[in-house]
Amino acid sequence: MSEPGGAAASPGSGDGRVVVDLRGIRKEFPGVVACDGANLTVRAGTIHALLGENGAGKTSLVNVLGGVYLPDAGEIWVHGQQRQFHSPADAIAAGIGMVHQEFRLVPTLTVFENVVLGSAPRYLDMGQIIERVAHLAATYSLQTDPSRPVWQLSVGERQRVEILKALWRDADVLVLDEPTAVLTPAEAADLGLTLRSMADRGRSVVYISHKLDEVLSVCDEATVLRNGVTVARPRSLAGIDRSDLAEMMVGEAATQIQRPAERPSGDIVLELAGVSALSDRGLPALHSVDIDVRAGEIVGVAGVSGNGQRELAEAIAGLRPTTAGTMLLAGVDITGASPRGRSRAGLAYVPEDRLGMGLAPTMSVVDNAVVRSYRSMRRRMMLDLRRCEDFCRRLIERFGVQVGRVHEPVSALSGGNLQRLLLGRELTGEPKMLVAAQPTRGLDVAGIAAIQEQIVAQRAAGVGVLLISEDLDELLALSDRLIVMYEGQVAALMDPTQVTRAEVGAAMAGSTSTVSGGNS
Amino acid sequence: MTDPGAAPEPTHAPLHTVSRGRARWHRGLVRPVLQRRADVVPAAQAVAFVIGIVVALIAGALLLLAAGNDPAQVYGRMVDSSLGGINSISRTLLRATPLALAGLAVAVAGSMGLWNIGAEGQMMAGATVAAGFAMSAGDLPGPLLIVMMLIAGAVGGVILMVGPALARAYLGVSEIITTLMLVEVSIRVVEWLETGPWKDPESQGFALIEPLPDQASLPGLFGRAHIGALFAVALLVAFWLAVSRTAWGYELRMAGSSPATARYAGISLQRKVLAALLLSGGLAGLAGAIELTGTATRLDPGLSNGYGFAGIIVAALALMRPSGVAAVAFVFGAVQVGGQSIQTLGVTSSIATILQAMILIGALVAAVLLNYRVRWVRPVGHPAAEIAPPAGLAPGGAPPSGSSSNPEASGV
Repeated sequence: MSEPGGAAASPGSGDGRVVVDLRGIRKEFPGVVACDGANLTVRAGTIHALLGENGAGKTSLVNVLGGVYLPDAGEIWVHGQQRQFHSPADAIAAGIGMVHQEFRLVPTLTVFENVVLGSAPRYLDMGQIIERVAHLAATYSLQTDPSRPVWQLSVGERQRVEILKALWRDADVLVLDEPTAVLTPAEAADLGLTLRSMADRGRSVVYISHKLDEVLSVCDEATVLRNGVTVARPRSLAGIDRSDLAEMMVGEAATQIQRPAERPSGDIVLELAGVSALSDRGLPALHSVDIDVRAGEIVGVAGVSGNGQRELAEAIAGLRPTTAGTMLLAGVDITGASPRGRSRAGLAYVPEDRLGMGLAPTMSVVDNAVVRSYRSMRRRMMLDLRRCEDFCRRLIERFGVQVGRVHEPVSALSGGNLQRLLLGRELTGEPKMLVAAQPTRGLDVAGIAAIQEQIVAQRAAGVGVLLISEDLDELLALSDRLIVMYEGQVAALMDPTQVTRAEVGAAMAGSTSTVSGGNS
Repeated sequence: MTDPGAAPEPTHAPLHTVSRGRARWHRGLVRPVLQRRADVVPAAQAVAFVIGIVVALIAGALLLLAAGNDPAQVYGRMVDSSLGGINSISRTLLRATPLALAGLAVAVAGSMGLWNIGAEGQMMAGATVAAGFAMSAGDLPGPLLIVMMLIAGAVGGVILMVGPALARAYLGVSEIITTLMLVEVSIRVVEWLETGPWKDPESQGFALIEPLPDQASLPGLFGRAHIGALFAVALLVAFWLAVSRTAWGYELRMAGSSPATARYAGISLQRKVLAALLLSGGLAGLAGAIELTGTATRLDPGLSNGYGFAGIIVAALALMRPSGVAAVAFVFGAVQVGGQSIQTLGVTSSIATILQAMILIGALVAAVLLNYRVRWVRPVGHPAAEIAPPAGLAPGGAPPSGSSSNPEASGV
């Protein structure tokens, strides 16, 4: 990885002409506002980084640009023309090429067949087409053999085919969604060269990535999204370093609920010793993690997304098998316990994926309220529906969930109310330990305040809390201790009252120099 | 620095015209876009079903006219024979019973998002095991024999479902394929029994299975109907109660609608898949045994008569809900009885099959239109802009003056 600011110091080779201008894009999904007034201005001949935390709205925004989603509001201007894209075909016709995270190639066809699929010129024979594909590939130093079937290719080669596809369709703007996530370092470097040669020829690239070093070495300009809103758009990345970018991504919160100052002194309720686990793709995601949480203590977990936080939460909840280590909950070994067993032992879990895992979208509010307790609502063989309803109404009242009818599908609720319902349900069982993953992400101000108040109240009630969040201000304000995860390890253990945002940001980016207690 | 862009590489200059040309052609058309309706139509599926029936009747009338028949006369005969009087209704019930039971079997699996396409085969398997039991224990008193035959039928259906259910739960093999393939197997087994082991010695040259004992036939209800209709209603009510009022049903609904939430709640998906599929198979087997004891004097390969397949349509139209299964099965029973009755008018009974299919198509389209509205969207942008190369590659690169026609969609 080249040093920060290296290549970016030279400004883009474009003349500053705006190629793509997204203005005030809003896109709402059930329960979540992905984009709410997002802007993106891409100039000719530049590589433009689109930055933001997970859930900041980056992928939604480029999917609007690529014709995958129709925006609820906002304008798409391409080459000074306002456009409406009703399908990816519209976007391609307007010169927007997308390379998605999952490739869309036909494995049994050859490279050139995939490249020209659906847009083969009719008056050329196959030899001529292959020649042109090869020429196009050579122009942008995309190493590939046009006649090889795609199933034989490595991931990096497949990505090159996707890029060729976009170039063949004459994309002026190439959008890459986390392109290097699947690449080896050498392939990533080659990709950087290819993108630069495109920019040199007057094309533009929109580059989504979490890897800040890479962004600094490859990109000319940047747009930073936070909670679906564009919060920063530096015209040049010269003189900007990693921690500046991290701070733009994470932002500052306006008002912040604060935990009380006094120190918790309870017994340890959750103790993880040497816990390791695999990711969904079977790669090591957690390496020998040691964490302990005391009663009445909030332990914050910070980290750039994808550094093992999700796997950590799922391993504690019993949804992801561990490959090593032990877990104790209030002194009881729960390493091999089922999700239900852990819940009975006093674990409450608010998953990151609140609608889809935490709550069943098409089932009613009542049905979702009793997920943890329906077994105790049985009367002989039948479920006591009246008790379920009473339980649900008490829950709604206690946690201030705004609901139309309790029998309507839960997906009709707003994001904040979904989270109140979910958190409330998890807390009614008088848990000893609460694991909350991204509990305030995507919520409005009132929703965030309500959830944070609940978490602080649980701390006061002697519950141990593991708070996984990408909101640094939230973590600094609420946590008694702060853990930073980096590449599946506890990279640093910090005292929130003694560290600055910049220090946390540096630890999140993998540098341990300023950190006390890091062990990576 | 427009130079590189302004002089595009020769390789893609011609392509440029090709791709833009195609784009211009297809963007010039007004085209429909589906938009979810904000206002939900109450009882949308029931309305869709009625619309489906109307669509089917109109399409059928056109077919009848084209074939030189009088639709009014044909439809009149169909209604009269299926609904005009106690006897007619009893014939409709006779048909609606296996349709409802097969529909229920499919709906049990369907409420977990699984498709039991092979109810037809499980019906045959159930009837076969039931017939086998009757042949080996033919001297039992009637009521006991019938009860045992019904149990044997359910067991037969479960047996045929064990393989697909295990494969689905533990290996992720599509139950659609496996259950469908076993239909053929179970029908061929009956054909083999008919010509071999179970051949009736008194049938001389004909391939017939030994007749069932006389006491092995279900008591009648009224007219031609038998008490199997009551079983069907009782089972539909029991299923409704089980799904909506028990913890087991709650887990089933959870596992079917949101597998991740079910896992989170500690519900075993594999056990729920097994339960739903085996129950589905058992119910289809029971349907076969009821059909055997209710309508047949002996087992034969045509016993299931397409009811298992029609049950898929019944369950789909009913959105897997028991009340819907009863209503749709009754309508389909009437259509089938009506279809048979019009043969005396010189009209083929396949009109009944056509009507069933048209009801499904009509109802599916109606259901979409009740939930979505169609908007006709005109492509946006100034026509000239479509022809000119994009500003990014045009020499000079000045964007076309911005006053192009505004993007507008005409709502309908």
